[in-house]
Amino acid sequence: MADELTNGDGHDGKPGGPSRRGLLAGAGLFGAGAVAGGLGGYFGHSGGGSAAANTSDVVGDSNQTIPFYGTHQAGIATPAQDRLAFGSMNVVSGTSRSDLRDLLKDWTTAAARMTAGQLVGEDTQPYAPPLDTGEAVGSPVSRLTITVGYGPSLFDGRFGLAGKKPAALAQLPALPNENLDPDYTDGDLCVQACSDDPLVAFHAVRNLARIGMGVVEHNWMELGFGRTSTTSTSEATPRNLLGFKDGTRNIKAEQTELMDKYVWTGAESGQEWFHGGSYLVARKIRIFVENWDRDYLQDQEHVIGRSKVAGAPLSGGTEFTAPNFAKKSSTGLGPAIPMNAHMRLASFEHNGGVRILRRGYSFTDGIDPQRGTLLGGLFFIAFMQNPSQFIKLQNSLAADALNEYIQHTGSAVFACPPGLKQGQSWGDTLFE
Amino acid sequence: MRLDGNRRTMRGRTPRLTAMIALVTGAVVVAAGCSSSASKSKTTSDSGKSTTVSISLTPQGCAPKPAKVAAGDVSFNVTNKDASAVSEAELRTSNLSKILGEQENLTPGLAGGFELTLQPGTYKINCPGASQQHWTLTVTGKSTGPSWESNPKLASAVRGYTTYINQQTADLVSSSQTFCKTIDAGNLNQAKILYPRARVYYERIEPVAEIWGSLDTEIDGRWENPVTVESQFIGFHRIEQLMWSDNTLKGAPALCAGLMKHEQQLLTLVKSAQYNPLEMTSGATDLINEAATSKISGEEERYSNTDLPVFKANVDAAMEVVSLLTPYLQTKDPGLLTQIKQRNAAVLTALSKYQASPGYDDTGYVEYSTVLDTQRRQLSSSVNALAEALSQTSTQVGAA
Repeated sequence: MADELTNGDGHDGKPGGPSRRGLLAGAGLFGAGAVAGGLGGYFGHSGGGSAAANTSDVVGDSNQTIPFYGTHQAGIATPAQDRLAFGSMNVVSGTSRSDLRDLLKDWTTAAARMTAGQLVGEDTQPYAPPLDTGEAVGSPVSRLTITVGYGPSLFDGRFGLAGKKPAALAQLPALPNENLDPDYTDGDLCVQACSDDPLVAFHAVRNLARIGMGVVEHNWMELGFGRTSTTSTSEATPRNLLGFKDGTRNIKAEQTELMDKYVWTGAESGQEWFHGGSYLVARKIRIFVENWDRDYLQDQEHVIGRSKVAGAPLSGGTEFTAPNFAKKSSTGLGPAIPMNAHMRLASFEHNGGVRILRRGYSFTDGIDPQRGTLLGGLFFIAFMQNPSQFIKLQNSLAADALNEYIQHTGSAVFACPPGLKQGQSWGDTLFE
Repeated sequence: MRLDGNRRTMRGRTPRLTAMIALVTGAVVVAAGCSSSASKSKTTSDSGKSTTVSISLTPQGCAPKPAKVAAGDVSFNVTNKDASAVSEAELRTSNLSKILGEQENLTPGLAGGFELTLQPGTYKINCPGASQQHWTLTVTGKSTGPSWESNPKLASAVRGYTTYINQQTADLVSSSQTFCKTIDAGNLNQAKILYPRARVYYERIEPVAEIWGSLDTEIDGRWENPVTVESQFIGFHRIEQLMWSDNTLKGAPALCAGLMKHEQQLLTLVKSAQYNPLEMTSGATDLINEAATSKISGEEERYSNTDLPVFKANVDAAMEVVSLLTPYLQTKDPGLLTQIKQRNAAVLTALSKYQASPGYDDTGYVEYSTVLDTQRRQLSSSVNALAEALSQTSTQVGAA
């Protein structure tokens, strides 16, 4: 750790400027005298010298950064990183419109720094609490993205935003097979941090929450330990806790026509500030893994509609062969892909063409205190042009054979604004 | 797919078994859905030739041409020339309860289709939106039976299972009648005692009842799982909510009449159902999974706290399957049989700690809300161990 610290190439030459709170100001780190040179917290992209050598066991370039600024927020079309930290936050009572606006500015500054591989701030004051919490020092940035979203309740009038509410932003209606825990539902704001390094993702949410203290407080939080979707043709398909490949038929970022049609918002959102954004639907889906593990292999495959190892549709071919829903089973009993198979009911063919961009993660909250079984499953995240897309799909899944093994226990919807230009902050257009 | 119109009537656990059990509709074996193929049954036609049925979607309907075909492989070609109000054709069982195949989203100008292997019998073509929605398709010829039938021990086990399910369902109906009469008489306290006594029969046959997903929801659906529309919350658990949460029988007689109607429908359907050994073992595992999941958490009987007697009913019915399959398993895997019996004994020991006389509402057990989380974990641990052993039985019977 110490070696990494002193050898980092530290891209800290582009400070975000002192914020109102002074949180992000300063230079030097952990006693300036002891450490020479650039002192980034975690290392920036490329040319990391010995820093890169220390992470040579990481597949790909762990120093790679994802641009923070752009047409759309990063963390949506970005090839899904391996790890997630997700915070749902509520604005504390007594917060004014300008407090909230200032917080979003501070968050922008901090997020721009962290995603570039820098600390939140450089610490020089021995008697001040460190500006950055420090746990990610020495950890490569690992493609960190930070994505912010606004929940329906943010537009309830507390901050004069009622007239800025996107047309389709609302709590989801009651949906099949859910038993929602209010402790994992809704929120005024969300922060999605994704990285290939779990510590880096966690660090981002922790520090944004810290910066927000007094203005926002955590409503709930979830950590995802393995991506369950592929969002790019450059990625292999990962597996979820069912042991099956997940996201084979997901929209891929390279399919820009589908992204425009099903993921990015435009004029239909009814809000100028929201053009180029996307709705984020989060669902905490518990998988009763012990029950699932007892099901025999052939039935597991019939429940999903795919072979377990290869991931091929049961109508034949290989993983990416298009499913033939009309084909009969080779053993002659009904269709090859059963009528209640998950992949049939979730398919766009079955849902009038509707698609969403799934970007979920496996999670665990430990052990169920009553049952002694795993409290874990899929932390489902999906981006879409309108939450009605998810509602349609989830209603189709009322008949899903998989429902025997899962239950939706958390739910939230957020409007993720479009990307920022250099110099812009989250909230600028919202608060205009 | 909407199994029953547009209603969300499918219970969470329903669909898999829906597909697993070959239904008999009249004298007809309809090999529907998926998992029965594990029995390696040969159901393709003797000739191996495929018959084509053409269906043209029109505002008037979806008449199959021809309307009578031989059993075996059948290809359905569906076309929509210019019917704007009709966009799909489904093949259903003759009582319309199950979709066997479908072609959706056929707007004018489009064509599509699906293939199935059909056993002899009567089927319905269903095309929502047409002036005549249901059309009959007749399949002629001989049906073919699965290979396990030639094993006398398995054949005997399946016969025994059929008898058991029929008897439990008949007992469900008669005990529910007694329950409903008490409700009609306005005797709330006695009705509370009779509620779990009727429930236990349902909890023994549930994997079978789930074949008919909408009926399962109408009889046993829980609020939020899957029922989220107030008018659809109508079965046992709605009455339970009235009696324990609202402490009233107001509205209960009408709900009970509906319950009886659905149970009678279930009884009729059960009488003509057929099962296979894999469905028996899978159903037994499902029962224990259910005990381990919704009973342990108290979700199932959340208003009455009568989870313990129904927990016991789940275990009893699973062990009935083991008992019926014992002659077969004794030769195939005696070690597994021993393990299952030991683990069942451990469950009964764990459960016996909560026996009481006469017990909460005369159930023979304490009120479940008094069982602490740490105690629930002990119960859960024993029942999960049993489920794990039980799930191994499919290895033997599925290969038969």
